[in-house]
Amino acid sequence: MEKFKKKHNYEGLLIVIEGTDGSGKSTQLELLKRAIEDQSYGVMVSEWKTSRLIANVIDDAKDRNLLNATTYSLLYAADFADRLENTIIPALKSGFIVLLDRYYYTALARDVVRGQNIEWVKNLYEYAPEPDLIFYLDMPVDVLLKRIIGTTGLDFYESGRDVGFSTDFYKSFEIYQKKCLEQYNDMKSEYNFISIDGTKPINEIHKIMKSEVQKILDSGVMY
Amino acid sequence: MSKLTEKHNLKGTLICVEGIDGSGKSTQLALLRDWLKSIGQDVIFTEWNSSELISQTTKLAKKKNMLSPRTFSLLHAVDFADRLKQVIDPALKAGFIVLADRYAYTAFARDVARGVDPQWVRKVYDFAIKPDLAIYFDINPKVSMERICSNRAPKFYEAGMDLKLSNDPYESYMIFQTRVIKEYQKMVKEFGLVKIDAMDSIHKKQVEIREMLKKVLEAKGVVL
Repeated sequence: MEKFKKKHNYEGLLIVIEGTDGSGKSTQLELLKRAIEDQSYGVMVSEWKTSRLIANVIDDAKDRNLLNATTYSLLYAADFADRLENTIIPALKSGFIVLLDRYYYTALARDVVRGQNIEWVKNLYEYAPEPDLIFYLDMPVDVLLKRIIGTTGLDFYESGRDVGFSTDFYKSFEIYQKKCLEQYNDMKSEYNFISIDGTKPINEIHKIMKSEVQKILDSGVMY
Repeated sequence: MSKLTEKHNLKGTLICVEGIDGSGKSTQLALLRDWLKSIGQDVIFTEWNSSELISQTTKLAKKKNMLSPRTFSLLHAVDFADRLKQVIDPALKAGFIVLADRYAYTAFARDVARGVDPQWVRKVYDFAIKPDLAIYFDINPKVSMERICSNRAPKFYEAGMDLKLSNDPYESYMIFQTRVIKEYQKMVKEFGLVKIDAMDSIHKKQVEIREMLKKVLEAKGVVL
């Protein structure tokens, strides 16, 4: 059942930045937003797990360790559906350039690492429109680990502690992040990610992203 | 093939009742539970949309009319998955008789009546364990409405008001529940739901249900 890769016919553009935690997505999103706004386009940003319907339920359930792999998948899918239907698609219809911090590729990576069948997860998201551009910030695992430890620190779920890879916090974190990276790697060609070396300087990464976006804008699709 | 179509090999027994509101299924399940307990059986009861994880959120979202057919479907799937993994599966492994007031078939009936793709929602629930016995209480929508709406108007989602079928909640209820029933009737064949006539007396239905349960248990080597 390959219902993915449906081209959307909305007026706007759908641009996604993907990558694991600590890969610099938010920084790039902010830069890209400003660069596009400077050219007088309407830009809307939406981040992963921010639906009015369910985001706080996920946070609360995580705090209380209430989630199993299946409810984890389904809650995120509900969050995504709510944002897609109420925020993203309406914005695309009215001609916005929608910049997304993570898209369903995040769910595919994380859920599969948690042992879910990939076809089952794909089915949850099969109705999602394909983005016009998907940037993937590719990070070697050792750099990534240091970056996360140096900034946000280790989080229970982001270390895959719920999966039980290891009772050692660092070990679990390392295994989890490596497995997520493997999933992202597998998706690169399947979904046409524009993969960018995440260790490059911020400005260089931004230039690459901006030029890709500019190509679309200059093609006149947005008049 | 999904787990829903394969016989489980767990020690316990899973019985579910299905049908639209007002069909008397909860009454029958309560009678069955009390009886099983009185003869010393280990019984666990679980009902639709009652998980600690999400049921309150779903109820609140329903009150505020915040749900689309897809989020409606996914939130109920969260609830079901939570109860399945926390309650149903462990109880079956421990050898309990699990009585479920509504099961995945409720989602298949309601969500599809809301326009969700039948294959999509079946796949969402493909982790569900196949019940040993699934009883469908067949009732016509008019009787159902008379029973549940004797002292209140139908609620927004139970009347399918989100689908804008009619501005009149009573009329909308009739149209929507007729669709739900149509989906249930298809599932009698697809999943082997056992249909019983909801218009029969409470006693007659209970006798019938106990007979069915006895046969299921005997097949597993349990004699009541």
